[in-house]
Amino acid sequence: MMKRIVSALAFAAMLALPAGAMADSVKVGLIAPFSGGFAIWGQQFQQSIEAFQKVNGTSAGGNEIEVIYRDAGGPDPAKSKQLAEELILRDKVKFLAGFAFTPNAMAVADLITEANVPTVIMNAATAVIVRKSPMYVRDSMTLPQQTGPLGKWVAEHGYKKVYTLVSDYGPGHDAEEQFVKTYTANGGTIVDSVRAPLSTTDYAPYVENMLQAKPDAIFIFMPAGPPSIAVMQEWDKRGLKAAGIPLFGTGETQEVFLPAIGEAALGAITAQHYDVQADNEQNNLLKKTLTDMFGKDTVPDIASVAAWDGMRLIYDAVAKLGPDADGKAYIDFMKGRTVDSPRGKFMIDPETRDVVQDIYIRKVVMKDGKMVNETFDTIPMVKDPWKAEHPE
Amino acid sequence: MTDRAAAPGLAAVRAPAAGRWLAWAGHVTPWVIAIIVFFTAGGYLSLGTNALIMILFAMSLDLALGYAGIVTLGQAAFFGIGAYAAGILAVNVTADPTAGLVFGTVVAALFGLFTGALILHTRGVTLLMMTLAILTLLFEVANQAGSLTGGDDGLHGIRMDRVLGLFRFDLWGKTAYLYTLVVLFGWFLVAWRVVRSPFGRSLDGIRQNPKRMRAIGTPVWWRLLAVYSLSAAMAGTAGALSAQTTQFVGLNTLGVFLSGIVAVMLVLGGTRRIYGAFVGAVIYVVVQDYASKINPYYWMFIVGAMLIAVVLFLESGLMSLVDAARQRIERALGGPGAR
Amino acid sequence: MSFGLTILLDGLAFGMILFLISVGLTITMGLMRVVNLAHGAFAMVGGYVAAVLTADGVNYFLAVLAGMIAAGIAGGVCEVTLYRPLYRKGELAQVLLTIGLAFVAIAALTLVFGTNYKTVALPDYLESPVDLGFRVYPAYRLFLIAVGLALAAVLWVVIDGSLFGARLRAAVDNRKMAISVGIDVNWLFTITFVGGSALAGLGGAIGAGMLPLEAFYPLRYLVLFLVVVIVGGEGSFKGSFLAALALGIIDTLGKYFLPEFAAFVLYSVVILLLLWRPHGLVPPKAVA
Repeated sequence: MMKRIVSALAFAAMLALPAGAMADSVKVGLIAPFSGGFAIWGQQFQQSIEAFQKVNGTSAGGNEIEVIYRDAGGPDPAKSKQLAEELILRDKVKFLAGFAFTPNAMAVADLITEANVPTVIMNAATAVIVRKSPMYVRDSMTLPQQTGPLGKWVAEHGYKKVYTLVSDYGPGHDAEEQFVKTYTANGGTIVDSVRAPLSTTDYAPYVENMLQAKPDAIFIFMPAGPPSIAVMQEWDKRGLKAAGIPLFGTGETQEVFLPAIGEAALGAITAQHYDVQADNEQNNLLKKTLTDMFGKDTVPDIASVAAWDGMRLIYDAVAKLGPDADGKAYIDFMKGRTVDSPRGKFMIDPETRDVVQDIYIRKVVMKDGKMVNETFDTIPMVKDPWKAEHPE
Repeated sequence: MTDRAAAPGLAAVRAPAAGRWLAWAGHVTPWVIAIIVFFTAGGYLSLGTNALIMILFAMSLDLALGYAGIVTLGQAAFFGIGAYAAGILAVNVTADPTAGLVFGTVVAALFGLFTGALILHTRGVTLLMMTLAILTLLFEVANQAGSLTGGDDGLHGIRMDRVLGLFRFDLWGKTAYLYTLVVLFGWFLVAWRVVRSPFGRSLDGIRQNPKRMRAIGTPVWWRLLAVYSLSAAMAGTAGALSAQTTQFVGLNTLGVFLSGIVAVMLVLGGTRRIYGAFVGAVIYVVVQDYASKINPYYWMFIVGAMLIAVVLFLESGLMSLVDAARQRIERALGGPGAR
Repeated sequence: MSFGLTILLDGLAFGMILFLISVGLTITMGLMRVVNLAHGAFAMVGGYVAAVLTADGVNYFLAVLAGMIAAGIAGGVCEVTLYRPLYRKGELAQVLLTIGLAFVAIAALTLVFGTNYKTVALPDYLESPVDLGFRVYPAYRLFLIAVGLALAAVLWVVIDGSLFGARLRAAVDNRKMAISVGIDVNWLFTITFVGGSALAGLGGAIGAGMLPLEAFYPLRYLVLFLVVVIVGGEGSFKGSFLAALALGIIDTLGKYFLPEFAAFVLYSVVILLLLWRPHGLVPPKAVA
């Protein structure tokens, strides 16, 4: 215990040394993938943050906010931790942000606790992450938060038998578990639950098996990219859609990915916390600024929204508490805070520091020659069910 | 093909004082630099530790690939096994760093022995494919065995005890760096001796002409198996160090990308030059870090271009530049010492 | 019965994609003995060109052809500038240079096209399902099978039946002899590399429905391409045809009957196949 206090004091003493020219400048270290197979996450984060700073200026309450971007490459916890260390010790960031992947987010837990650095998770979706350090705040979502309400919704709308297919990795397991739990609790029957290896290229056999099992509906969870594109194409072309077997999912049909899937996606029903079509002030600002800055085809997705809102949290915290407040004070500020977001309103749960938000049920339709997700039902202010079911 | 590092004795004979002094200085330099880095790196110490681990990893590949000619893109298998073994031990049994280090090394060596026995009779691209297939299988196993490995989320909750009961792993990474440096030095001595031993010489022959070696009675297959297992052990240590210093193990430690990257490091620096691993690993780690900070999207361009340039223009890797410099200095200092 | 047929068709289609993209690599690896890890980059180039053209409304087949030509040109340029010096240097140098080339290609494509996924727009009749009598089946997959078989037939005629093919086979089997007999091996290599890259471009463009296009494409699918080539036997397009079929069907079977362990099935089979036939299903004649 003594050693911890001593090292914390030593660290604090180190921080007290002059940091550089701009004593007012508040640095935010954003760790995300900018290269490799997941580069789109980093790009969405960065574009959204630049848009935010264009609209809201680069200072909050008179303090300059500077974002430093670092490429974690992919799921690489060692690199993520190394970058976080450099950002904290060398660049003296006051906040960390980003984290597209759970392992990368988890790797910095001890570090941010010891260094007292508030960390805004903008994507990593495994429910338990925020428990690993009191310095985490998440403004994106958890998978149980989406698939739990979806399971209940599907059961309540007359689909008696469902076949689930998810990718065999953490988020897939999370999504499947919660869906199955609420779906069966509300009277549904699971025909089969299959987990496909993440490295799968051809999903035809998996979808064929689903067709043969003749369910009322199918539930999938695939990372957005080749897996989700492949599964949705097969759902359409293999005749499941035509046979009246609807597809339920979460993030697979976001507008930014729809062009690559094509018309095969029409009719898919998903549960998400962000509706790109939503007509509210923040969303209109986000969309317009993005297209102004980066071209007419720029479309926001959940990464963009999380980054936009994450900056809002940081800006507000710094404006209220100034640039040199204690890390925990910033966290306390964010606890219980409600934010006007492009997704509507969301709140940071004061107990769990996780996001509480509306979940929209929407369907992919063709509107004015473009494919969009149209919301037709809303489940208000959903807390992450996993934490409620697994108390500490 | 002058291989100066392979014949230090000759150099000593050729140019008494200057040559010996230069050789000695050359050997000491990397370690002196490492110590200097320790005192000056500040917030970058973590990067330094990572570089040291990669040096060890690249050195292991040099033994198998550079000296013995075993073309493998599956070296990450041993790194990953060492990492997971050390991590799982720390989480479930004991968090003593030395125990984890030994455990990781031994498990990786055994795996090397087992898979080597299976595939080392093949050659060329077939061997390459085998190593890739084994690596991919191992990746899937680690992904599936979630309760043990954490699966896709990674193995977290590794909290290491003090090194030798004395040195705590601190926030700054100082203990981690020195710990890694000591282990690296230990393995370096082993590698140096092995490469200069008769066993090591025979590897040279095996790489160049296995048939002839067999004809003169060398037990080729056994030698290959031995060096493959040794290389696996070394890579396993590197993996264990990674798990212990970052206190986390991700599936990427079993990734094909990592295997490719370590091969890149080795060739950049120069194969069959133990120090090639040093130069290559440090250059790659530093360039990748620097380039990705300048432009996170396009650092691959810089590294790729560098690779192409090195292969086309600097056949023996960057170490050949060091050689050239050394020759110049020797010529200037020692007269007859130069070739 | 119809289930068995479905598995066969699915396996065939997947195998054909593998064949389409990998056959070019087989030929170049077999002929030039160059380990070309950047092969996927040429496939990607073909795919992207086709994607851009179809997005602008160009006819599908013309777009694919354009993709092939673009990939072929890219291949020709690279061969003359980068690959020629590689023939003498060992396997390791080739592996490393081509990895570097793949990196450069990925970064360049990211610069031009960004990080999102692209697809090649299929004509309507390929989009919709086809009624086969016993079931409805995606037309696209039948198209893949047809193209794969047609390509195999064309290659058979060209490589086994023509003078060019004879020279090619001669140079593969015994390069020194071929040179001494007067075959211009340099020219042959360039032409072959252009052909191999064009084939890759064809595979990338036609296969985009199953392997979506994105900047990381060359590395994402690299192991898959290598598996087909090495299991098939370098230099033998028959071998790669067989290997692609076998792997496609085995992988599909694995997914049907052991869905969670399909990846294990595939790679275990690869290891077993290579232990049984270390030089591939159809080994090169001159194993030197």
